[in-house]
Amino acid sequence: MWKASGCHWLLTKADSSMNCIRRTILTLDHSVGCHFFSRAASGHSLWQPERRCLLQSFSQSLRSFHSSTARQTSDSEPLPMVKPPGMPTKTLEPYEDFFEQASGGKRDKSGFSKAVKTFAQRDIRKRGHVDFIYLALRKMPEYGVEHDLAIYNLLLDIFPKEVFVPRNVLQQIFNHYPRQQECGVKVLDQMENFGVLPNKETEFLLLQIFGRKSHPMRKYLRLMYWLPRFKNINPFPLPRPLPKDPVDLARHGLERIAADLSARITVYQMPEPEDLGVDPPQPHIVGIQSPDQQAALAQHNPARPVFVEGPFPLWLRDQCLYYHVLRADLLPPEEREDKEIGPERNFYYPMQLDLDLDRGPWDDYEFDIDEVEEGPVFAMCMAGAHDQATLAKWIQGLQITNPALAHIPVVFRLGAIGGELQLAEHQEHQGQQNEQQGEQVSPKEVEEPSLVQIQRQAQN
Amino acid sequence: MGDESGVGQGRVGQINVVGGGRRSGRSESREEVPLASTGQAGGTKQEIEMQVSRMVPKVGLQLLKQGKVSPQSYGSLLGMRATRNYANEAMEGSKSFAVGMFKGQLTTDQVFPYPSVLNEEQMQFLKELVGPVSRFFEEVNDPAKNDSLEKVEDSTMQGLKELGAFGLQVPSELGGVGLCNTQYARLVEIVGMHDLGVGITLGAHQSIGFKGILLFGSDAQKKKYLPKLASGENLAAFCLTEPSSGSDAASIRTTAVPSSCGKYYTLNGSKIWISNGGLAEIFTVFAKTPIKDESSGAVKEKITAFVVERSFGGVTNGPGEKKMGIKASNTAEVFFDGVKVPAENVLGEVGGGFKVAMHILNNGRFGMAAALAGTMKSIIAKAVDHAANRVQFGDKIYNFGLIQEKLARMAVLQYVTESMAYMVSSNMDQGSKDFQIEAAISKIFGSEAAWTVTDECIQIMGGMGFMKEPGVERVLRDLRIFRIFEGTNDILRLFVALQGCMDKGKELTGLGKALKNPFGNAGLLLGEAGKQFRRRTGIGSGLSLSGVVHPELSQSGKLAVGALEQFATVVEAKLIKYKKGIVDEQFLLHRLADCAIDLYAMVVVLSRASRSLSEGHSTAQHEKMLCDTWCIEAAARIQETIASLQSDPQQPQLFRNFKGISQAMVEKGGVVTNNPLGF
Repeated sequence: MWKASGCHWLLTKADSSMNCIRRTILTLDHSVGCHFFSRAASGHSLWQPERRCLLQSFSQSLRSFHSSTARQTSDSEPLPMVKPPGMPTKTLEPYEDFFEQASGGKRDKSGFSKAVKTFAQRDIRKRGHVDFIYLALRKMPEYGVEHDLAIYNLLLDIFPKEVFVPRNVLQQIFNHYPRQQECGVKVLDQMENFGVLPNKETEFLLLQIFGRKSHPMRKYLRLMYWLPRFKNINPFPLPRPLPKDPVDLARHGLERIAADLSARITVYQMPEPEDLGVDPPQPHIVGIQSPDQQAALAQHNPARPVFVEGPFPLWLRDQCLYYHVLRADLLPPEEREDKEIGPERNFYYPMQLDLDLDRGPWDDYEFDIDEVEEGPVFAMCMAGAHDQATLAKWIQGLQITNPALAHIPVVFRLGAIGGELQLAEHQEHQGQQNEQQGEQVSPKEVEEPSLVQIQRQAQN
Repeated sequence: MGDESGVGQGRVGQINVVGGGRRSGRSESREEVPLASTGQAGGTKQEIEMQVSRMVPKVGLQLLKQGKVSPQSYGSLLGMRATRNYANEAMEGSKSFAVGMFKGQLTTDQVFPYPSVLNEEQMQFLKELVGPVSRFFEEVNDPAKNDSLEKVEDSTMQGLKELGAFGLQVPSELGGVGLCNTQYARLVEIVGMHDLGVGITLGAHQSIGFKGILLFGSDAQKKKYLPKLASGENLAAFCLTEPSSGSDAASIRTTAVPSSCGKYYTLNGSKIWISNGGLAEIFTVFAKTPIKDESSGAVKEKITAFVVERSFGGVTNGPGEKKMGIKASNTAEVFFDGVKVPAENVLGEVGGGFKVAMHILNNGRFGMAAALAGTMKSIIAKAVDHAANRVQFGDKIYNFGLIQEKLARMAVLQYVTESMAYMVSSNMDQGSKDFQIEAAISKIFGSEAAWTVTDECIQIMGGMGFMKEPGVERVLRDLRIFRIFEGTNDILRLFVALQGCMDKGKELTGLGKALKNPFGNAGLLLGEAGKQFRRRTGIGSGLSLSGVVHPELSQSGKLAVGALEQFATVVEAKLIKYKKGIVDEQFLLHRLADCAIDLYAMVVVLSRASRSLSEGHSTAQHEKMLCDTWCIEAAARIQETIASLQSDPQQPQLFRNFKGISQAMVEKGGVVTNNPLGF
């Protein structure tokens, strides 16, 4: 009865401007896929009361079975036909439990591909494959396969071949199998969003499934035009996936902030595996210092203290690292050596060109740039712990390469990890199109209590 | 030497003096210009004055001339800071070809047609002088003897004084000959032809020694010193170099402390390698004086120029230095020990010594090129004489290709140097204030060409050339210093490249500003866009020398224009790439300067050969050959350099290697590698 009513509803809702027959086929296809009852949607006003009770009873009874939490439908939720405007309700996904079962509980690539393959082999007619693909797309980040080209190809492979290829001119002109085409486009869309470059196999699959003039194929061509051009757009590339080892991660982070090819990374302390139970625990300490910084530190006036400050956050993709800097205050103007080369310095040639070419012609020249002068930064480090004892070890390590540091008083100005990071993180995930990430966020950025906090000086 | 005609001759020479005076007058009248607009904080009053004096209202003249912008529109360009230390004028109105070529412009005003500044009277006067001077050097002076004696013979000195050779450019009413720069160049050429040692003695005396008095001296100073200097009764010397200070003005240690009464300065310090240091009576000395900044009250040390007499007391000198060449000239250390210099002996303004030094050096350079052109002439004569008479394998050696190539190259180098020297001197006589790059180029080119020519002469002469008797080895020794003194060639190359880049950079800055108001500056921007478009599409900039170069030289003219376009493209690209940091890219600057020198040389010979062809000189066809030869080779050199700068991926590697190799050598204290034998 439910099936029939759903079908009927969809038929009544059918847009009159569309090809009626094709619509029927489509809706049939959809309704066939609906036999898990788990799609929740609010209906047309005419029949809404009836449907709502139905749904409520089902969803309530189903909720106890399904382990996953219901999610809000976002705009990207692919419910092109059934989703009425302005009525966001909690929905249940078809195949949710099927996916869980088929993957064998393993939340990784093998589990994911197993689930997909199981679906593909389950039924020769591939019933409900569109819904399944949408679900799989959403599940990808959860399984950590969102950057895996092979998985995308596997997903596309679910589509039945040659069924959706238009056979005559009329079909070609009109949107042949729009729902399937849209689904195919969504797969490519997600690839684009995650920067996955399609390959020949993708092209071959799309040709087989949708034909040459189809929307997914056009999308593919556009991707192949733009993605290779943008492939190396990041001048500071990070490896994918990010290394798990905190030392390697720190290495990448430090190289990024140092922005100096001549800077040398030193691992002052390797982390002890926790199960050894070393007491006190040995967090990793990785530092970076460039020759310029070394020279600047050597010239530092020992009467003036240097400061260890931090922790400051640094984001590497979705990973937040914390670093500390060794810095000094800016010299007061009367102590600064006049290193400026005056215009009357050299008898024979100008030692300075008085040019203002740093700003391009389109820059806003009226823009008021307040240049804040800062004290020099002598070194940076990332450590597993943010306490003074750990950072003192870093300073000791630095003293080997910077003998001058032994005579300079070091003041630790350590703060807490700021609370505003929570917000930043929240926004970060909002930006991503997959809401499932939101659930996933581990509490790693929980505010840590400050271990050692030396009073920040009044100037801050 | 007719005194009656000397009055007339003095006129041109005096223009410089008047010009200098007028400039300082202008700066005083503009003291009120707010410093903020120049954007430089902490400048002393003198600096302000100097800057302001350089903001000559010629900005945008170039643009106006091209009829591309309305007067209002270039107003936005005026906002930029127009500091120009090493040359006199704000560059936007510059007529200098060398300045233009960095911008990709063919500024032919100064170079085409080849200038002839001497009027009938001056020419006649010069002709009357050339004969006796030549005869004097041929008959009286003995360069070999001067060299072995390590001094100019007394009789020669006496003769030179009688000739008036010590005051060639001093106005005739002050007892000099009153020559203009071109006339001076012609006589110096004769000196250079015969004896460079004497040339240095004369040059150190009048080209730099008392040039300061001529350029910056007050009327009282001129009246007091110039007559005795012009007659040769007193010799002058230029005291700038110190043991710790070559090019670096900040490391000058000589101090001049003003007395509390303000009437005199006490001078302390020592100067080394001073030409005429042991003979001179009058010294132009540069010393640091404490200057109080009126706005901030801070005391800063600035350089001031003084005229110091030996008779003030406390001036002593060391023994004459033993040298490689120019032995006839006297070079000695000069010590100033508590010398009391009256305040009226300050040359120029107090604290303005830097400007004085720069002007003296800039004004003296052209003479060097002229002298060296003469040297080359006499050396080439010796080489040709040998090549024409030496017989080997039954054939005169000038029939051998190797010798022919050597001789031809020597002739080309001499032709270029000579053309440059008179081009620069004429430009100066025309009243141009914008000859600094050209003067530096002529000094670099002349000193290197003369070295090459003399070296090749010795090569042609073989073992004979190595012997003392023909006197070529002495010339080679004498020549060596010309690549070093008055700014080494390397440093002058930096000057050429950086000064050019500065002007180009200002143009770019102006363009950026113009883009802020694209409609107001539509003409300028469209012109620039068209230029870029033509350059990118390879149509060429539309520049041509066809109107000014003689038709027979059109091929060489095209080569020069092509080279100029390439050069300007690479200058622009590198400036945009390095911006202010270009001052530290010396590998690049060196190459740019080399291209600039070749380019300027091409245009100079094109101009001279064109004049000869159109005036139908007897040697016109020969000059055409010289000109074409130079242009073909120079264009190829420029093209090669530019191509490697533009697109050679190995060029950065090369530069890094230079850096790395030299660093390793310094660390090792010499050659890094071991003997191939292993010990």
